[in-house]
Amino acid sequence: MSFSISIHSSKGGTGKTCIAQNLAYAYAMDGKNVCLLDLDLKSPSLFSGLFPVKDCWLNSVLEGRQEIDDVLVDATREMGTKGRVCVGYSNPDIAEIREISLKDRRWQSQALQKLIDCKKKLFSSGFDVVIMDSSPGVDYTSVNVVACSEYVITVFKSGESRGVQLVINGIYKPLEKRCFAIENMNNGVSSFSFEDQIPVPVLARIPCMCDVSKYGTKKLFTCEDPAHPFSKAIFNLKDQIC
Amino acid sequence: MDNKEQTDKILFLLKSIDEKLDKLLRMKHIYMADEVPEGLDVMTLLSLPDHLRTTATALIENGVSTAEDLAKITSKKRAVESSYLNQLVRMGHVRKFRKGKKVFFEIQSSL
Ligand SMILES: Nc1ncnc2c1ncn2[C@@H]1O[C@H](COP(=O)(O)OP(=O)(O)OP(=O)(O)O)[C@@H](O)[C@H]1O
Ligand SMILES: [Mg+2]
Repeated sequence: MSFSISIHSSKGGTGKTCIAQNLAYAYAMDGKNVCLLDLDLKSPSLFSGLFPVKDCWLNSVLEGRQEIDDVLVDATREMGTKGRVCVGYSNPDIAEIREISLKDRRWQSQALQKLIDCKKKLFSSGFDVVIMDSSPGVDYTSVNVVACSEYVITVFKSGESRGVQLVINGIYKPLEKRCFAIENMNNGVSSFSFEDQIPVPVLARIPCMCDVSKYGTKKLFTCEDPAHPFSKAIFNLKDQIC
Repeated sequence: MDNKEQTDKILFLLKSIDEKLDKLLRMKHIYMADEVPEGLDVMTLLSLPDHLRTTATALIENGVSTAEDLAKITSKKRAVESSYLNQLVRMGHVRKFRKGKKVFFEIQSSL
């Protein structure tokens, strides 16, 4: 059964992109066909150049100018994984980013439909897992991504759990999403007071690791260093989801 | 006041009421064109009452559907779904069309 996972957070810089790209590789190593989409339209990451890029963007798919198959880049050969890995990117051109911020409700309503069509098309063309990296916070770019996925993983930093409850109760639950949380950059101290409980399963509490912060999103840990504690945390996460 | 004078006065008042109504309706038209979004964006979806949001969410995910299709997804009665869908149609979020004997619903498209 195919499924899609959106990786979201109420605040920025919690490790979404890191987790998304490493999780994608982990699934592909398992033989799953994976599609990894950078849907952070406001601040495209290009996944730090870890995968090949071509001059085609998800923006055109949302506009209805191109089909999803035309903009994906097949990275399977470069990655050497058992399953397929295809990657889709948001356009990093500043004019395009400005354009996105001007879109009205009508366009956003169409974009949501396009995203759902896109996901269905990916499932029917043999992808088992679609991983969507989103913008942080609550706006159309991020909530559209949440709305079109089966699972939502919300990533929060230790000590910043209040915003998490807001998005769980105010966004994910009303949209009837199955959601999980990841506490990232845990410093060994439990950050919860009793009333601060997260109302969904916390699948991982990943410690703050110098290596991860040193390489940023530029190193694919699950590929280059599978024995690393960060990689192990990602493999474990993958096994818990499906 | 004789009869003719009274009738004229009534006619004059009716005409001015008519004009004012027209003016109001024109204003309302502009107002409605602004307020009622075509289609259904995710923020509007989130602001719907629970029962309508469940129906609309299922319709967004499923695409063109009959009330019966949605009833299967939401585990509600067909007649209930049908009534929710018609509410969404009146609100301008959903389009209803007939094909043969069946009635279909889809999210209103702006295209
Ligand atoms: N467990 C960790 N330990 C240390 N550093 C981490 C850890 N996880 C992520 N980081 C670092 O945090 C920084 C932010 O990560 P990342 O870009 O993945 O966050 P993001 O949530 O995608 O940010 P944005 O909201 O801006 O898109 C990166 O430099 C990353 O290497
Ligand atoms: Mg990111």
